[in-house]
Amino acid sequence: MLNCEKNFKSGIPKQVIRKYIFTIYYLILFSSITAGQTKISGLVADHDKKPLPGANVYLKDTYDGISSNTDGTFSFTTNETGEGTLIVSFVSYKTHSQPVKLDGKDKYFEIVLEEETSELDAVVISAGSFEASDEKKSVILRPLDIVTTGANADIYSALSTLPGTQQVGESEGLFVRGGSASETKTVVDEMVVQNPFFSSVPDIPSRGRFSPMLFKGTFFSTGGYSAQYGQALSSVLVLNTQDLAPRTQTSINLMAVGFGGSHVQRWENTSLAMEAGYYNLDPYFAIQKQRTDWKKAPESFEGSANFRQKIFKNGMLKAFTSYSTGGLSLNIPNLDNISQKDFYHQKSRNFFINTNYRDILWDDWTLFAGYSYSIDKVNNDINSDRAKQDDIFQTGKMTITKSLFSNSFLKFGGEVQNLHAASSFNEYSGKLYETYLAGYIESEIFITNDIAARIGLRSEYSRAIDKSNLAPRVSFAYRLGKYDQLNFAYGQFYQTPGQDFLIQSKEFGFEKATHYIINYQHTGSNRTFRIEAYYKKYDNLAKGTVYTYPYFNLPEVTFNNDGSGYAKGIDIFWRDDETFQYVDYWISYSYLDTKRNYRNYPALAAPPFSTPHTLSIVAKRWFQDITSYIGLTYTFATGRPYFNPNNPDFLGDRAKNYNNLSFNISHIMNVFNNFTVLFFSIDNILGINNVYGYNYSSDGRIKAPILPPALRTAFLGMFISLGEENPY
Amino acid sequence: MKILLTVLFIIMFLTGNYADGKYEKAMRQNLEKIGECKTANDYMNLANNFERIALAEKDKWLPYYYDSFLYVLASFTDSSKTQKDIYLDKAVESANKADSLEPDNSEIYTLKGMILQARMQIDPMNRWQKYGAEINKNFQKAIEIDSLNPRPEYLIGVGIYYTPEQFGGGAANAKPILENSWKKYGQFVPANDLMPNWGKEQVEQYLNQINQQK
Repeated sequence: MLNCEKNFKSGIPKQVIRKYIFTIYYLILFSSITAGQTKISGLVADHDKKPLPGANVYLKDTYDGISSNTDGTFSFTTNETGEGTLIVSFVSYKTHSQPVKLDGKDKYFEIVLEEETSELDAVVISAGSFEASDEKKSVILRPLDIVTTGANADIYSALSTLPGTQQVGESEGLFVRGGSASETKTVVDEMVVQNPFFSSVPDIPSRGRFSPMLFKGTFFSTGGYSAQYGQALSSVLVLNTQDLAPRTQTSINLMAVGFGGSHVQRWENTSLAMEAGYYNLDPYFAIQKQRTDWKKAPESFEGSANFRQKIFKNGMLKAFTSYSTGGLSLNIPNLDNISQKDFYHQKSRNFFINTNYRDILWDDWTLFAGYSYSIDKVNNDINSDRAKQDDIFQTGKMTITKSLFSNSFLKFGGEVQNLHAASSFNEYSGKLYETYLAGYIESEIFITNDIAARIGLRSEYSRAIDKSNLAPRVSFAYRLGKYDQLNFAYGQFYQTPGQDFLIQSKEFGFEKATHYIINYQHTGSNRTFRIEAYYKKYDNLAKGTVYTYPYFNLPEVTFNNDGSGYAKGIDIFWRDDETFQYVDYWISYSYLDTKRNYRNYPALAAPPFSTPHTLSIVAKRWFQDITSYIGLTYTFATGRPYFNPNNPDFLGDRAKNYNNLSFNISHIMNVFNNFTVLFFSIDNILGINNVYGYNYSSDGRIKAPILPPALRTAFLGMFISLGEENPY
Repeated sequence: MKILLTVLFIIMFLTGNYADGKYEKAMRQNLEKIGECKTANDYMNLANNFERIALAEKDKWLPYYYDSFLYVLASFTDSSKTQKDIYLDKAVESANKADSLEPDNSEIYTLKGMILQARMQIDPMNRWQKYGAEINKNFQKAIEIDSLNPRPEYLIGVGIYYTPEQFGGGAANAKPILENSWKKYGQFVPANDLMPNWGKEQVEQYLNQINQQK
């Protein structure tokens, strides 16, 4: 500073300094006082002229600006001059920018912001579908719902509380909109699963093979689904497995019906989960009286491994494999000889592997490639008769997705399924070799933020029947308002006739269903309302008498493809997470009118797996005081048709109405400092005697009701996570 | 000459600090308004002010930090779950911008943890699995970078306070962590008056509440 002073004193003349100072002074004065202020005001609104409050309105690269008021207006002044850029930005809208001349004159702008096409706000193609996912924020179902709905933490029983499904207590599977269970396909990571259920015995349903915990997303379509899926006339259940396991963890599971354990190891880019369990229902049956006369209660061993590897930046390799083996035996009343019971013994084994790879190839190209193999062996011995069924099923699939503008994309790919089935009954045996090829192309286009279309085409070839088909599918979504949407879908769906037919004859064509769907949906943040009307037309259903049929006394039908039918109805869904504090509930109602003439039916009739009215009410609540999650599920369904050989009106009898109230509780606790969930569930709390239908003796004189295996079924289990950290 | 020099220096001071003075003044003005916000709209409007500063300054992380922070506060005041997520999406965006301008900053990691905490709170039963470990990771990183920062422990403590005892939560488990945070607040001096300096009163309130329960 001293040097400075010296310089000033010696070097620069006073006048110069004074002049310099005045210049600076003047410049400051000029910039702050003499420049004219420009007033910028206006209005921010959306496409529908609705004012947008809280938009950020400002001049680029300056501090000058303001947020729009509740009526969308704004006004601010700036001292900047020259050419400026006015920017208006608002959450979930596209940023608007435009030049503005800052010349001291008042400016007025009316600005219309375009909505950003984001997954969250854009219209969603949703005719016919229910989705539970933690990736999308506004969903009808949440992943946890799968575990906490119904009585037995089974994917399929949770989904059967949704509209469009029928309550068919005596067999497993999803019966969708008048369709049989075989018209619904389970797809795991894009590939069809041949045997998604454990082997079952007559009139006793089995559980789904896959634990709901394996999946991050569940997509259940009751009709009008994408061209990516085939071989399903009615419905697909698409399950997407978890990516890398979140953390290393060891768990022990103790149940009234068995025990098991799992270990998950997580490395930076890799995770491996191993799980094993042993189940034996004997101790449980000893406590809980069973109607079924078990000789040896079901006993099984299950093991699985689940591997994940992240490859480079975006690649994900997944491999899942499971093995299970089980056995059981029971006595089944023989209605033709009441003094005698049939001894039924079953042994089953299943091995499954699904491996797939997904990657982003270039900026907007995504590749999926997968291969799945399964082998399923079931031996059923009935008295001295031996029945065997062996399936070897392989699938390969590849899909390439190209992103287009906005969220639009184009998908195409192909699929090969190969089935090697052998069945035998004593010395009789039959074999089926089937190779099924399919190719598909589909595009989802977001024309605007409010209109989207999915247009797809699938072509299939079946070697067994040597036929091919072409199945067009379209789905439209139109957004009426922020929360309201209209959906339409149309599609043709094909399926090869069942194995029991194809083993005996190859003279068949594809069975066909055509879907027409119209749907209105209101999706608020905490409330959802959905109403869907549909018409489904069945053509070319396989007809014929196969030895396994229960409908005796009916005229023998030679194999043909002339079956037909229809299903029409209305599905209503209401979910509300808001009205009652802490309580989340949903109500679903299905109205169904369906008739079909297929298999060995002598006439068009409502099938035994259909009923006009079905109602489900599911309510859940978290109780902080007892750290428990409690769920109640009530289901009502009108009686289903059953076959009475004495009634000339085919399938003209109706069973009584079905009522079931089930309860489940998940209690969270600590066992030796390990995070533990105690789960208990029981169905049919009210103790109602439900009758699913009736079986008849060959002469039609003796009639026996088809009942659940026990009046009530309970489940008790304790799931301990060893060394589980608290969540923080 | 002396007068002239004084004038010169005053002018130099005024002009030299002109830009920075404007930034600090604007920041200070807006920081004072945080306490006045009541509704989500209030928070969003104030966040807009910080966003304008951030966009004009280009190399300063603090305006992005407050922009993000205010969106988190906005998410707390809105009742719609969907809207909460929209606010938090915006908060993440700004926190990431702050992070890219100022990597390895304890306050930014704290903020990131706070955003995830808010995300989880929207639907704890369904989101716990996904966010639990991630929240912890961010707070631990914040402590690792600056062990004197009282805020990560404040938020960890609050998280535990609202977690059921069976998960290892509850007042008793939260207390030592909140006390530790309180101790750090006692010694904490922000580098300047624009730096994050919030949470002290809240920790005190929580501790009073816990002590009254006994």
